[in-house]
Amino acid sequence: MARARNRIAGIISVFGELLITAGLVLGLFVVYSLWWTNVLADRAAGKDADQVRDRWAGGPGALDTRDGIGFLHVPAMGDGEILVKKGTEPDILNNGVAGYYTDPIKSALPQDKQGNFTLAAHRDGHGAKFHNIHKLKNGDSIVFESRDTWFVYKVYKSLPETTKYNVNVLQPVPKESGRTKPGRYITLTTCTPMYTSDYRYIVWGELERTEKVDRDRTPPAELR
Amino acid sequence: MYGWIWRHLPGNAWVRGVISLVLVLAVVYALFQYVFPWAEPLLPFNDVTVDA
Repeated sequence: MARARNRIAGIISVFGELLITAGLVLGLFVVYSLWWTNVLADRAAGKDADQVRDRWAGGPGALDTRDGIGFLHVPAMGDGEILVKKGTEPDILNNGVAGYYTDPIKSALPQDKQGNFTLAAHRDGHGAKFHNIHKLKNGDSIVFESRDTWFVYKVYKSLPETTKYNVNVLQPVPKESGRTKPGRYITLTTCTPMYTSDYRYIVWGELERTEKVDRDRTPPAELR
Repeated sequence: MYGWIWRHLPGNAWVRGVISLVLVLAVVYALFQYVFPWAEPLLPFNDVTVDA
C-alpha cells in the first residue's frame, strides 16, 4: 500500500518537473526570439553594411548590388540605417536587413523611371528593422541612399491591417493606397500586431525628390 | 527526475553543483543553437511578407 502510494507520488513529481521544464524552455524561446536573434542579425547586417560602405568609399558610382543595394533611413522609426538586399526569403531577412520583393510581384528599383520599390523586414526579432512602422505618419520621410543618389520619399498612406494574401499592395501602381497614375512609389511591409504575424502592416510613400551624393556623403535635410 | 539525476552524479555537493551547471548550460546551448532555429519557422510569429 505504502509502496503503491510512493510510486504514484513519484509519477506526479516527475510530471510536475516536466511541466516546470516546459515552462522554462518556452521562456528561453522568448529570450531567443526577441533578443538573441537580434544580436545575431545586427552582427551579420553590420558586417555586410561595412563591406558596402568600404566599397563606396571610393566616392559616388554606379549601382552595386553585392552585399546590398543601399541603405534605408527612416527617422520616424528611429536612428540607424537599414541595409537593403534583394529578396524576401527568410534567410535574407533573418540577417537584419530589409529585402525588396522579387516574388510574387517584382519590385522596381529606386532609380527606375516609374514603379513601386517594395520592401519587407522583420517587426520583431532578427534585427526588428521595421519594429516601429506604426510610428510613421503621413508626411514623414523615408530616405533611400544608393551609392550615388539620395531618394527622398514622403509617406502618404498607411494600412494598419491587411491579410497576408493581399499582394496587390505591391502593384507598380498601388491602387489601394488611392493612387491611380504611374509614379515612383515605395512600399514597406511587415507583420502586425507586434509579436505575431496574423496580419500585415503596409506603408506607402511617393518619391518627392532626389539628391546627388556629394564627396562627403552629406545627408539630405531630412536626416540632419 | 532531477532528484534522480542529482543522486547519480559523482562527487560531493560542490562537484555535483558544478556538473549540474555545466549540464544546464549545455542544454541551453543546444536549444539556442539547434532546437530554436529549427522550431522558429514552424511557428506563426514572424512572417512579414505578403504572398499569394
